[in-house]
Amino acid sequence: MLLDIFDPKAAPKAIGIDLGTTNSIVAYVRDGSPAALVTCDGAPLLPSVVHYADSGAILVGRAAKAQLTRDPGRTIASVKRFMGRDAKDPETKRLGAQKFAVPKNDEQARSVRFDVGRPASLTPVEVSAEILKSLKQSAVDQLRGVGGVVITVPAYFDDAQRQATKDAGRLAGLEVLRLLNEPTAAALAYGLEQKQNGLFAVYDLGGGTFDITILRLEDGVFQVKASGGDSALGGDDMDRAIAEGLLEQMGAPSPRSPQVVALALSAARELKHALTETTQASIELPAKGGTSIQAKLTRSELDALILPLLERTGKACRRALRDAGVDAAALDGVILVGGSTKVLRVQSYVAELFGKAPRCELDPELVVAYGAALQADLLTRDDAEVLLLDVLPLSLGIETMGGGVDKILPRNTTIPTGARATFTTYADNQTGFELHVVQGERELAADCRSLARFSLRGIPPMPAGMARLEIELAVDENSLLKVSARETTTGISQEIAVQPSYGLTDDDVERMLIEALDFGEEDLERRRLVETRVEGERLVLATNKGLIADADLLNATERAAVDQALTQLKSAIESAKSASPVQAAIDGLDHATHDWAGRRMNRAVALAIAGKSVLDIEKSVENAAGVDAHVARHRGETA
Amino acid sequence: MMSPFEVLGVPVLFALDEGELEKRHRDLSKALHPDRYAGRPSSERREALSRAISVNEAFRKLRDPISRAEALLSELGREVTETNQPKPPPALLMQVMEQREALSLARRAGDRGKVESIAAHASGRAEEASERMADAFSEDPIPVEQVLQLLGELRYLRRLKEEAGAALDEL
Repeated sequence: MLLDIFDPKAAPKAIGIDLGTTNSIVAYVRDGSPAALVTCDGAPLLPSVVHYADSGAILVGRAAKAQLTRDPGRTIASVKRFMGRDAKDPETKRLGAQKFAVPKNDEQARSVRFDVGRPASLTPVEVSAEILKSLKQSAVDQLRGVGGVVITVPAYFDDAQRQATKDAGRLAGLEVLRLLNEPTAAALAYGLEQKQNGLFAVYDLGGGTFDITILRLEDGVFQVKASGGDSALGGDDMDRAIAEGLLEQMGAPSPRSPQVVALALSAARELKHALTETTQASIELPAKGGTSIQAKLTRSELDALILPLLERTGKACRRALRDAGVDAAALDGVILVGGSTKVLRVQSYVAELFGKAPRCELDPELVVAYGAALQADLLTRDDAEVLLLDVLPLSLGIETMGGGVDKILPRNTTIPTGARATFTTYADNQTGFELHVVQGERELAADCRSLARFSLRGIPPMPAGMARLEIELAVDENSLLKVSARETTTGISQEIAVQPSYGLTDDDVERMLIEALDFGEEDLERRRLVETRVEGERLVLATNKGLIADADLLNATERAAVDQALTQLKSAIESAKSASPVQAAIDGLDHATHDWAGRRMNRAVALAIAGKSVLDIEKSVENAAGVDAHVARHRGETA
Repeated sequence: MMSPFEVLGVPVLFALDEGELEKRHRDLSKALHPDRYAGRPSSERREALSRAISVNEAFRKLRDPISRAEALLSELGREVTETNQPKPPPALLMQVMEQREALSLARRAGDRGKVESIAAHASGRAEEASERMADAFSEDPIPVEQVLQLLGELRYLRRLKEEAGAALDEL
């Protein structure tokens, strides 16, 4: 075995985490190849289960999973299914052993809450953070420090579910560099291994979520053409379908106790796993009156039970192909991802659907974490040749009068993206606007996911249709939305507070962070200093590299200002006792390099465009003559 | 504000080569995508984000024949949107209405093949209309009224295609 030589000056490694419904994995890149780290369970797969023991201890992984049937009320499995969902979400009504807390007020009702027998109920974000903390600890132990992290999410996760995942990362004390779509991560792992250009479909059926992604790999760019799926469809649903039958055979009375439900679900999983090897499986289960039964399940029974679920995936696949504008026959390959694709009927269904045998050379349970690690590595390198271009999974729109939706950004738009829309008053002397941003494909706003509501007050009275409210939606590379709005007629550009409809506010996360630390604010301040120092060091490095490549874009005065700001930042990093002077020096350098950065970007754009051949330019000039002549004439008329 | 043609640095032209356009989008994305600025100062990251947004918006506009035609008309000083353009000829409206009727019948009958053939027919007609649009834009002077007609036709065909798509989602 090779021993990693510890270099004390090396920057901490960026890692990739697959935060799965059933299992979670942490991976990193070693000598150019991704490798999974061993978790606290001694294996790469960490069961995504958290147990809150009587003693106050928190167990994660296999030890927690062992408590599922013994103490289901204090043990949370499949927490991912509740991320970004509110207390009334239909997901809370389905067969499961966890106990939900009744929200005490509207504020609390914005998130699902678990009652684990402690004074305070817990949100899915807090439970997920425990899984992330455990993975982080494994990485720290083995890599002696962790840089940023890329966390994967289902491609079909909406804004609220993504935001919740990012919050969980922050709460676990991780610097979240990026949220990466799981199928795109898998494609990255495959693509970098095979180095083959082409059009691919990634069929990702996990424990709780289903994604289908159609993407093209060309010139080192992984460009997603279309994504689709269902963020509440996966192996858990197979388990439920099996468990319903088992509960009937057990003669379990209604209401069923959490223990019995947990037992049936765990038996269902065992039968499902066994049927990938044999055509018939059985398991002993307790039954009415202290007796026991031998519950049997054949492979063909399982196939019939899961067919309706597979048909739902088929529908999403056909739609994604249509959105991408391609036929199944045009695909160069179909990649299988996710533990549930180990079920044999899933594999044969995918083969029938796409008309070709799917590929699963890379372990479908590890491939997403590999992709996350590769992306984390790409983000921390300047010589990256590979780029991922993802899409917005669900349309973004604004509720119109009458409850309809005005779709402003359609699904499958390449991200980052943005759009502006103008709204106007519909009544005379109307002094306020109410706006509601929603996400989804349904025609009625009430059937879509509510993302944010905001209002603008204090518009001077004027006739209907006169006031103009300009809304700007910006979606970043993580598919996270930012909304801004201003009233343009009066010239008052007003900053409008957007109240998210779901999940936690920044203040909530801040408070949780303080509570989670042993010494509260003191610890938090120390942590901030460490984080700000890391950021500062990274900036010094990036600026020095920029000076080597593009110093010619600075005049002497500017150069002196940059050098001075650099020196100040370096000394702040060395001597500072708190984060704020370092932050001030960072801002100073940021300010000194601002114009230069713009010029450097212009140069990068010019270089990208210069790749075009001379012949093309001549051809385009010739063809463009018609419009150009017309434009010139038109401009002449108006001038 | 820069036109989408300027943002992507491509000729002001309807008959853009799709492969070239995609390549330009990829090359500019490699230069401007926020992932390329992960370790940079926050103002630089914001700037890269806003430029990458413009590149993607321009790409979205020029890839779609309807918004590409709108962008060209806008270069000519004609701001056209769905609501302020002339209605297409009655003959086309009749045809589209018949197709829609056929679509709703096929939808109710659960006839997947029929819905697919209506969608394919709409796609084929849209391609033809796009070709005629390219011809119109290559004339000098550009026959603006004819372009507007074709634009209306493309909009109707797209809506038909979307409805057929929605029907396929249900079947």
